[in-house]
Amino acid sequence: MSANFVLEGVRHEYRAGAPALTAIDLTILSGEHVAIVGANGSGKSTLLKMLDGLVFPTSGAIRAFGAPLTEDALEDPAYRRDFRARVGFVFQEADVQLFCSDASDELAFGPLQLGLPRDEVERRVREAAQQLRIEQLLDRPPYTLSGGEKKRVAIASVLTMQPHVLLLDEPTNALDPRSQVWLLDVLDEWKQEGRTVVMATHDLSAAAESADRIVVLSEDHTIVADGTPEEVLLQRDLLLSVNLIHEHTHRHASTAHRHAHAHAPGADPDLAHGH
Amino acid sequence: MLQNEELAARPGLLQRLDPRIKLLTLVLFAVTASLVHSVWVLIALIGVTIALAAASRVGVAAFERRVWLSAGLLALLVAAPSALRIFTPGPVAVSLGPLALTEPGLMGVATLVTRVVASAGFALLVVWTMRWSDLLKALTAMRLPDVVVATLAMTQKQILTLLRTVEQIHLARESRTLTRGSARGDRAWVTERMAFVVRKSMKTADDVYDAMLSRGFTGAMPSLVKLRLRPRDWAWSAASVALCATILFADRMIGP
Repeated sequence: MSANFVLEGVRHEYRAGAPALTAIDLTILSGEHVAIVGANGSGKSTLLKMLDGLVFPTSGAIRAFGAPLTEDALEDPAYRRDFRARVGFVFQEADVQLFCSDASDELAFGPLQLGLPRDEVERRVREAAQQLRIEQLLDRPPYTLSGGEKKRVAIASVLTMQPHVLLLDEPTNALDPRSQVWLLDVLDEWKQEGRTVVMATHDLSAAAESADRIVVLSEDHTIVADGTPEEVLLQRDLLLSVNLIHEHTHRHASTAHRHAHAHAPGADPDLAHGH
Repeated sequence: MLQNEELAARPGLLQRLDPRIKLLTLVLFAVTASLVHSVWVLIALIGVTIALAAASRVGVAAFERRVWLSAGLLALLVAAPSALRIFTPGPVAVSLGPLALTEPGLMGVATLVTRVVASAGFALLVVWTMRWSDLLKALTAMRLPDVVVATLAMTQKQILTLLRTVEQIHLARESRTLTRGSARGDRAWVTERMAFVVRKSMKTADDVYDAMLSRGFTGAMPSLVKLRLRPRDWAWSAASVALCATILFADRMIGP
């Protein structure tokens, strides 16, 4: 499998003395489903933005699809068009991503920016709306939609560009349980289609269920583990040290039980405690 | 905004028109109002706005209240001093103690207020009978620069987002307030929250721009605009032009 992204020694600071990412070495292969997990502020969103060419390293290098991914490279209209067509980013907050006057325009925005013919754009809008079951929302302004509906429209607005790589920032955030299950089903469909998916999350159960590989970011903004869900999620001490789980104590009469515990919707059954 | 969506969905006269035609003709009426000098002709124009509001099922009483209590009242407050004899000499119409209001002064105030009410009425009809998304599509179809349309769309989005934030800030404070604080403390709190909202607004603008770049934004705002003119749009346009011409002719005949 070819590499979609190669990061070597990547470091990023939003301002001097406040690193967001430190010494990141990471390769993402085509067709992989990778979950980037870490506590709040560990650098997950920054890493995704870097993969999408919205933020660039302070030091180190990134290659995307075999070519350097730099600010200068994205100035070239042909390179930019090709890159944006291949990589789609679903932001954590759907409100940020929905900036057109109605849902139909949201879905059409990306393909129109790529310069696709009108009938091709209309076809993609119809198909994405059917896939995500939002046909009845197409003529509605985004501010009239519920949280789950906004998330579906946001995902559809990226799917119409038919990217090979999908970057998702905390996709299960603010979704009700049914919508979470729906999203995991969608991720599974994308896996069958051979797309690369990189998901930033602190929802360990979603990561365990959908990812082939889990990368753990520490609160020091560096990668501390990289492996299969089975290899990573059973490392209790590691997960405690990066603040992804905590120890919970409760008592039965005079006996105290201490358990590792993750406060996540549908908590990881491997971490469930028993008596 | 939500009320606007509901009004724009009603099966009224103006709602059935092509957004471009509606926008152009209502602007034409507003411009006509600005050219009219006779207060009686302006009153007739206000009658036209009332008739259009009724035909468009937007609620005449609510419509008139909105127009008179906002634009009308503001115009009256601004123009009223000009009726004083010290500003507009002429025969005294009303004496209020040491102050005297002249006939030409009162006629000037009446002309200004009715002109503002008529223009504001047409503007409100545009807003109440057109979905925001249709207005933006009409502006795009009329070849308004992309940056202008994009700015309008972003501004509306920001206003809604920040209104929600301000409401939540207020509710959060209310839920934790047991006694009233000092006026100085309240002012300090409001100032801090204003700064917070400004910072949040700037962060949101940056995030939205990133989201646009991520989907290939090139500076243009193309749209799948599918607007088609129908016979009723042409009929309405012709009727509007004829009515405006009649109004201006009548104004010339009657005089100020």
